[in-house]
Amino acid sequence: METHEVLIIGSGATGGMAAYTLTRLGVKCLMLDAGPPVDLERDRSLRPVYDLPYRGFGQPDRFPHVTQATEFNANVWADEKQNPYTYDAGVPYYWVRIRRIGGKTLMWGRASWRLSDYEFKCRDHDGFGDNWPISYQDLAPYYDRVEPLFRVAGRNEGWPQMPDGNILADDSRDSESVRRFIASAKRLGVPATKPRRATGTLASSVNLLLPDALASGNLRIVPNAIVREITVDRATGLANGAHFVDRRSRRDFHVRAKAVVLGASCLESTRILLNSGIANSSGVLGHYLFDQFYVKNVVQCVVPEARGGKGGRGLMGGGGYIPRFRNLAKREKDFLRGYAYDFGSGHTPHPRYVPLYGEALRKEMQELEGSGFAMTTMGEVLPRRENHVRINPNVRDAWGIPVLHITQRYTENEFRMARDSMEMAEELCRGAGFEILGKHAEPVPPGESIHELGTCRMGADSKTSVLNRYNQSHDVKNLFVVDGSAFVSGGVQNPTLTMLALTMRACEYLVEQKKRGEL
Amino acid sequence: MKRRTILGSALGLPAAWAAPAPAQTAPPPAETAVKLEFASPETAAAGVRRFFDETEFAALERLGRLLVPPGEGLPGAAEAEAAMFLDFLIGQSPAERQTLYREGLRALREAARRQWRKEFAAVNDEEAAPLLAPLRQPWTRSAPRDPLARFLLAAKDDFWQAVANSRALAQALSSRRRGASGLGLYWHAVE
Repeated sequence: METHEVLIIGSGATGGMAAYTLTRLGVKCLMLDAGPPVDLERDRSLRPVYDLPYRGFGQPDRFPHVTQATEFNANVWADEKQNPYTYDAGVPYYWVRIRRIGGKTLMWGRASWRLSDYEFKCRDHDGFGDNWPISYQDLAPYYDRVEPLFRVAGRNEGWPQMPDGNILADDSRDSESVRRFIASAKRLGVPATKPRRATGTLASSVNLLLPDALASGNLRIVPNAIVREITVDRATGLANGAHFVDRRSRRDFHVRAKAVVLGASCLESTRILLNSGIANSSGVLGHYLFDQFYVKNVVQCVVPEARGGKGGRGLMGGGGYIPRFRNLAKREKDFLRGYAYDFGSGHTPHPRYVPLYGEALRKEMQELEGSGFAMTTMGEVLPRRENHVRINPNVRDAWGIPVLHITQRYTENEFRMARDSMEMAEELCRGAGFEILGKHAEPVPPGESIHELGTCRMGADSKTSVLNRYNQSHDVKNLFVVDGSAFVSGGVQNPTLTMLALTMRACEYLVEQKKRGEL
Repeated sequence: MKRRTILGSALGLPAAWAAPAPAQTAPPPAETAVKLEFASPETAAAGVRRFFDETEFAALERLGRLLVPPGEGLPGAAEAEAAMFLDFLIGQSPAERQTLYREGLRALREAARRQWRKEFAAVNDEEAAPLLAPLRQPWTRSAPRDPLARFLLAAKDDFWQAVANSRALAQALSSRRRGASGLGLYWHAVE
């Protein structure tokens, strides 16, 4: 049986970017993914909601931890019964997964922000946690190359916490409600800008990365391949392949490779490493789990002038982003770090915000149609060693592979930040002249933002980290872990763009090392 | 007697069955894939109540009519058969949600009997108003402690969505504006 030059595990953002980068450099790759192939023509069709078996409510209890699942897209998300995991009683973790070729890029929100040295050098800034072993300048050239691939559009503002990008300029005119909101923010000294996101409704690994890699003739993809463990040559200490199970037949296979790039998604990658019993001489593998907490609809408002169907395109519509603004120049609050907001204009508020029923509710909902303005908080979660994953040897998935036990709790730092974000959001909206229908400061449960990070962190010291500054295992030199598990801190920025840039950088380093005979 | 009539008599079929059949069109080639159209069960049959008992269901139906009445040519909960749909949905739901509904309906019926000496199913709109007072409280993120209030808020959301996503509403709206049928991109199951 042949030995592949590089085995890539995972086909989502980072697996896709690994394939794209390596195959362009002439490296022959084999990719394994746990899910089936996607045929976007065949696998999707338009259906009216009333024709669905549960009228759009979804099958009750099918996805107790996937609030993003609708009855339309329920078949995309990983089945929780086939793919179980455990957590401490009373401390639920919402692990949201997709097992299909393309991974979560089939569904992502496409927001694409760069990290800054407020994140890479966070310890230098406020004394908490650890710095990354790289700085913004190390990654900036890769951001420059990834953004055009994903046709990221937005507005460069020159703010240090939100580095400018190599992006398409979004010069679209804001609606009046958005302009009023931005003016209110400006009066309060809060920065506000356009959204910055990959353009196109899909912008996925399956249409932006994998086609080029396949066209090079250097990539083969095996779908339905659930990796059980990475195997290591005990004589050399190097990875030499992986055991996997065919999803449909449950038949076991072993694939041989000279190097392994692991991008199975943050927690799946760590699960594979823990089940493999490798890359953990530091004892840190599985630790420092964090994400970003969301306060969804931290305020829900109405733009008064848009009532009664008067919210035309000039007044309503569009949205924007407020980057982190707390604790930048100095420590100004009773919490560390900060939060960002997304805001949007022009929707119809949910009837639950309206304290009426019957005919009065119907009339009020007609009055409110298209008049909504809402904000969502995205807050930084501090990486803490005690938040961790480990293998639960007593529970196995449908393929007999031991599952993860996940422990993550938010602390007073996150709760204080959430409360501050609610108060500031209310002030911003009142300053714009909006009516507040509802406000709250309750973060979603850990995991729900689908921005899980850490557990296989990079670091300069092999005693306190799993990976070096090139996402290369300190212990297993031909093993690279490129997904969100490598993050040391996360900031408030949606992490996919950074994962893509890190992957490109790591894979080019891998090829360089191979050329030098170091691998 | 024609052969078809004779056969019909022999089989005991009424005269209509024995009438000459309309001229047949030539069948398509046997290897041609033909797309058939099918009806959904809701368009051809009535749902059967399985979860709530008769008195619970009567209260639920009354509640639905109060929460989402018809108006301005649009269907309400009754026309959208929302209560029968919720009987199905809640019957499939986790025990916690089933208890919320069962306990909520029980509390609502008790309150009606206490205040008006009649079943909730029989209260008029004015009599119902004080019983539904929790629905006039400003929205808060945390659910109220009172189980009746919790139930009423959940039922308001559920009835609203069951009507909003109903075939009856889509049909009523389709004549008024495009895109009113709640079309969405459906992902099919994989092997």
